[in-house]
Amino acid sequence: MKKAMTRSIIEITTTPDDHRIARLAAIAIGLHLVESVVPSPLPGVKPGIANIITLYVLYRFDFATAAWVSLLRVVAGSLLLGSFLSPAFVLSLTGAITSLTMLFFSARLPGKWFGPVTLSILAAFAHIAGQLLIVRMWLIPHAGVAYLIPVFAAAALFFGLVNGLITARLLRDNGKLSSFSASKGLVE
Amino acid sequence: MSHWKSFPKPLPGDWLVLGISCIVVAILFATLWRNEPAGKLRIRAGDRVFATLSLDQQRTLQVPGPLGISTIVIDRGRARVASDPGRHQYCVKQGWLSKAGQVAMCLPNQVSLELLGGEKSYDSLNY
Amino acid sequence: MRLRGRVGWIVALIVTLLALAGCGREPLHQSQAYVFGTLVDISIYGESEERARELSGHVQQEFQRLHDQLHAWKAGSELDRLNAAFAAGKTAEVSPELAGMLKDATRLSEQSGGLFNPAIGHLIQLWGFHRDEFAPVRPDPSEIQKWVDVNPRMADILVENGQAASRNPAVKLDLGGYAKGWALDLAADYLRQQGVKGALVNIGGNIIAIGKHGERPWRVGIQHPRKPGPLATLELPDGWAIGTSGDYQRFFELDGQRYCHIIDPRNGQPAQGVQAVTILVPPGPHAGTLSDVASKPLFISGLAGWHKAASDMGITHALLVDEQGGPHLTRAMKQRLHFTQKNVALEELP
Repeated sequence: MKKAMTRSIIEITTTPDDHRIARLAAIAIGLHLVESVVPSPLPGVKPGIANIITLYVLYRFDFATAAWVSLLRVVAGSLLLGSFLSPAFVLSLTGAITSLTMLFFSARLPGKWFGPVTLSILAAFAHIAGQLLIVRMWLIPHAGVAYLIPVFAAAALFFGLVNGLITARLLRDNGKLSSFSASKGLVE
Repeated sequence: MSHWKSFPKPLPGDWLVLGISCIVVAILFATLWRNEPAGKLRIRAGDRVFATLSLDQQRTLQVPGPLGISTIVIDRGRARVASDPGRHQYCVKQGWLSKAGQVAMCLPNQVSLELLGGEKSYDSLNY
Repeated sequence: MRLRGRVGWIVALIVTLLALAGCGREPLHQSQAYVFGTLVDISIYGESEERARELSGHVQQEFQRLHDQLHAWKAGSELDRLNAAFAAGKTAEVSPELAGMLKDATRLSEQSGGLFNPAIGHLIQLWGFHRDEFAPVRPDPSEIQKWVDVNPRMADILVENGQAASRNPAVKLDLGGYAKGWALDLAADYLRQQGVKGALVNIGGNIIAIGKHGERPWRVGIQHPRKPGPLATLELPDGWAIGTSGDYQRFFELDGQRYCHIIDPRNGQPAQGVQAVTILVPPGPHAGTLSDVASKPLFISGLAGWHKAASDMGITHALLVDEQGGPHLTRAMKQRLHFTQKNVALEELP
């Protein structure tokens, strides 16, 4: 039987989860924008304060949510800053992907021994590693990039530590650190 | 900073990761910063600075002097005087310069090429 | 509340970073100019931009004046005028300044046993080095011998009451190995008189140091005779001077053999067997002059006689690089040098 062509209204129903993700992503985007206004002494060296949100979300909710928040932040942030699909966007996206991957695996570390500080530092290193790789292979195909590696590594270590401490404090103050457990879907 | 007391103490594993990361960063500095590469070059013509440029490009420059044009070639991290109207071609014979502080001087045409970058190990060159 | 603390911390960090970026602004003024027929580099530390420029400018003007006065082959220079008179057996007027230089050069020539000999202008010209551009030449051996036999010496020159004459018409003055050093002393005296706290004057590679670079001593590099970087670096304390004679400065190559501008007065040939000689001279009224003059006798004496030549000239800090590139140095010199290449095989003499 031929179905009549009815005008269909596509309704998107939003779940509370979506609301939550959107809200968190908005905060992350906001922090990202604020950070972009502040001048950095060296191009590419940024405190990455939006990453605090990603890490917080990872602990408080789950990896999937954190991934959403992070990627939304990268895309929306670049749209808002007018750098969508630019090299800066590619770098941002690469950093986000590599650090998320690192977070996925390092979240499996026993929470009794390794806290947000560990994850933050490891994710920061993964972040700059991915970016430096793109820079070396595509943007500046020149051995001089090696000269930048120690500087970025030091920045990653420092800001990774700081962001990790801040995240830990936020989690504690929200009573969430103690609930870090297998039931949150972080450990299969 | 009393602020630090209001932050949760890092867990034992955190300290381990922190320690290893510090060592890694120190090793990176020690190995990759051993030979300070040159980042810029300075071309002088007569008593004036003709140009200060980044070494990280591929470019040929014509530098005029009393005898004619000296040609300088920059090739992604190194530079040299490709041609010079002077008779003896001393500066051309210097070949590729790639480290900070290296200099090629075309005295007859009053053109000089110097690689800058990092801290020079001396204030002036005796020759 | 937490946000404010975080922002305050970020602001503090940024302020620190910006402040650090502002560091590195030093009161160092550097000027380069092509004067005196070569590259003159003057560094002045601790003076304002305008004062430093004024001082460098004055020094460079003095150099240009000396250059015009002492030019070995351009017509019209005082030296050229004297040479013409000497060749014709006539007397000529000589300025007190030049008369003083001649007297000093004669003394040094004798001290070096004739190895430093500014009177052999004809030989230098024969080898083609009296031109701005010189081409490879092969002078007639008998011609060379003639100029050697005729034995022009500084002692042949008589200066009296502002008049100069030469007993020997073969004398042709070329103060190339003397004038730069003399100019260094002149510049150093002037800058000290002007109260400069730190300066480094480099005329064609010959350097004299005044004071310090702020808190640390001046550092100089010694050009590698064959490669683009420095062979070694060292500190040059207040008043010390450094000079180098090298076969890489003015030379031509003919049939695979290098002929440089440093002529051995004994046989009329460009000195062979040595790539470079560097000497250090401690503070004294003629440190600059000695640093220019004294490297020549060592260069000419070669590997066999440089050590004796050094003691004849009163030089204790000397480095000789032989034709294979091997360094030989006195102990005093070794203590001061930092070789760029670690583990370089060198010979040390007392």
